[in-house]
Amino acid sequence: MRAALAALFMLCALVASAAEPLKVYAVNAPLADFAARLGGARVEAVFPVPAGRDPAFWRPPLALIAEFQAADLILLNGAGFASWTQKVSLPRSRVVDTSRGFADRYIETEGVTHSHGPEGAHSHAAVASYTWLDFRQAAEQARAVADALTRRAPDAEAEIAERLDALTADLSALDTRARAIGEALRDVRVIASHPRYQYLARAYGVEIASLDWEAGETPTEAQWRAFDHLREGAARVLMVWEAEPAPEASAALTGRGVAGAVFDPGAASDAQSRSFIDRMSANLDALEAALSSM
Amino acid sequence: MSALRLALAYLRFHWVRSLVLILVAALIIATPLGVERLIAASEARMTARAEATPLLIGARGSRLDLAMAALYFSEDSPERLTMQAAEAVWESGLAEAMPLHLGFRAQSAPIVGATLDYFAFRGLTVAAGRPLALLGEAVLGAGVAARLGLGPGDAIVSSPENLFDLAGVYPLRMPVVGVLAETGGPDDMAVFVDLKTAWVIEGIGHGHEDVLPAGAEAGDIIADAALVAFREVTPDNIDSFHFHGAPADYPIDAIIAAPFDDRAATILRGRYLDRENPLQIVEPAEVVGGLFERVFRFKSVLDAVVAVVAGAAALAVGLAVFLSLQLRRREMQTAFRLGGRRSTVARLVATETVILLCLAFILALAILLMTEGSMAPIAAGLVAAA
Repeated sequence: MRAALAALFMLCALVASAAEPLKVYAVNAPLADFAARLGGARVEAVFPVPAGRDPAFWRPPLALIAEFQAADLILLNGAGFASWTQKVSLPRSRVVDTSRGFADRYIETEGVTHSHGPEGAHSHAAVASYTWLDFRQAAEQARAVADALTRRAPDAEAEIAERLDALTADLSALDTRARAIGEALRDVRVIASHPRYQYLARAYGVEIASLDWEAGETPTEAQWRAFDHLREGAARVLMVWEAEPAPEASAALTGRGVAGAVFDPGAASDAQSRSFIDRMSANLDALEAALSSM
Repeated sequence: MSALRLALAYLRFHWVRSLVLILVAALIIATPLGVERLIAASEARMTARAEATPLLIGARGSRLDLAMAALYFSEDSPERLTMQAAEAVWESGLAEAMPLHLGFRAQSAPIVGATLDYFAFRGLTVAAGRPLALLGEAVLGAGVAARLGLGPGDAIVSSPENLFDLAGVYPLRMPVVGVLAETGGPDDMAVFVDLKTAWVIEGIGHGHEDVLPAGAEAGDIIADAALVAFREVTPDNIDSFHFHGAPADYPIDAIIAAPFDDRAATILRGRYLDRENPLQIVEPAEVVGGLFERVFRFKSVLDAVVAVVAGAAALAVGLAVFLSLQLRRREMQTAFRLGGRRSTVARLVATETVILLCLAFILALAILLMTEGSMAPIAAGLVAAA
C-alpha cells in the first residue's frame, strides 16, 4: 500500500514537473535558441524583444521587467550586450552571464572620454558584444546555459548533456567552415556595414573595416566617399551587410565591382524562425557564394 | 464579614492613600516582570533574525560590527569588501550570496543596497506599489513609510555624505515605488534600493548630460568638469548612466551566504579560516548569542538593582502601613473600648492589607496585559536601536 502511494506521489510529481517547464528568459536570440535546444520540453525559452528591434539597445517596459524578474532563469550575454540589464533589478540567483567564462577575451572598442569632478578626464572603454560570432565562444556560452539548466533541473542532467554534445558538434562544424572561409578571405578587403563582427574577425583571421550604415537605407554621398576611402588600393573587396541592403546600394556596389554578402549577426529574432545553427550556416553560405563570385 | 465591610469602608474613606499604596505595590510587581518579558521578546527577535541568517562574510575585523550591520543595519559600518567576494561565493557553487551595501542614510533611515534575492530570502513582500525594477528606485520598510508618511509615488532623498565635499557624493532623489509589508524586524526601518542604485549614490555610477552640440559628430565631444552628475535617475537620462571600474571591485559591506546544504556550509566556512585571508565568515547566531551572554551579565546587575529598588519600595510600603497603624492608634483604642479583641483588630488590618495587595496584583496584571501589544514594537525598537 505504502509503495503504491509512493509510486502515485512520484507519478504526480513527474506529471507536475512535466507540466511546468522552466521559464527561461534570454536577452538575445542565440541564447534563447540554445536554451530551447538544450532544455527540450523542460524549458520554455522566451526572447521577448519585439521583431524589428535591436536587442542590444532595446529597453523593456516595466511589465516585461517583472516577467524577467519572475523567470526561473535569466540568460545574459555579458560583454555589455543589452545594457538595460545593468539598469534594472534582477535576482542574481537566477541570472547567468554566459560569457563570464571568457571575460578576459572581450574585445575593447573605442570609448567616450569625458570628465567630471576632481578625477580629471577618463574614458569608458566599450566592449564588443556579439561574442557568439566566434563559434568556439558560442560553444562556451552554450555550456554555460547547459550548466545553469542542469542546476535548475538536475534530473534532466543526462538529456541536457546529450543535447549539449550535439549542439557543440554543430558549432564545431560551423567553426571549421568559418576557418576555411577566413583563410580564403585573407587577401580580400572586407568592409562591414556595421561594427558587429569583431569576434568573427578575430577568431577567423579576417581583417574587417566597419562603417556605420543602416541596413535597408540608401547610403549618402558622404557615406560612399567613406566607403571608397576604405576600399582604396584593394584588388578584391567584399561588403558584408548585417541585413538585406537597399536595391540602390546593391547596384552601387556592383557598379564599383564590389561583391556583397548578407551576414545576419543573429541577435534579433529570425523572421523565418530558423535555429541559430541554420542562420549561421546561411551566413557562411552567403560568404562562400560571394567569394566564388569574385 | 464585618471585618471585610469595615476594611472596605476604611479603604474607601482613605481612598487617596489606598490608591497610592495600590499603585506602588502594582508597580513593584509589574516592573521586573515587564522588563523580563521585554528582554525575552528582544532576545527572541534578535536571535530569530540571527538564526535565520546562516552565514555572513565580511572583511576581517569586528565580528560584532559585521553581524550588527548586516542583520540590524546598525550605524557602525564594518570594514568593506568588494563584489569579487560575492562572485567567489557564487562561483564556488556552495551557497547563495546576497551582497549588502550599507552606510548611507535617508532621513535618518538606513539605505540598504541589495539584490532581489535578499527580499526572497527574508520573505519580504510588497504591501503597496511594486518591487524594485529600475535603477534609482527605492522601496520603503513599513516603519519608515509610516514614520515619514511616504508611499508609492513619493520620493526620498539620500543624505549627503559631506556637506562641504562639493565634488563628492551627491544626494540622490529616489522615487518610492513600493512599501513592504510589516515584519516587526529591522527591515521595517530601512530604505531598500538595488545594489547598483547604492553605487550611484556612492558616485561609482553616474549619468551625463548630452554635451553634443547640434550638428556635431560623436567624435567632436570635448567635455570637462562642467559635465553634470545627475541627482535623479529619470526615464530620459537612465540610458546615460554607467559605472566606473571593474564590477568585481565595486564596494559592499557584507555578504549573506545561504549554503545549499550542511556539507557546503562546512566547506565554505573552511575557506575563510586562514587568518591571512582578508575576509572572515561568521555565524550570526553565534555572534548574537555571545552578545546576549554579555547582555545577561548586565541583566543580572539590572535584576539586582530592580530587586534593591523593589525591596526599598516594599519597605516604604511597610513603613506607610506601620505609620498608618500608628495614626490609627486612637481608632484602635476605641475599638478595644467597644469590646473588640486584639485579634479582631489584627483581622481588620490583615483584611485591609490583603484587599490592597489583591487590587495591586489585579492592577499589575492589567498593566502587563495592556503593554502586551506594545511589547513587540518596543522590542523591535530596542533591537533597531541596538
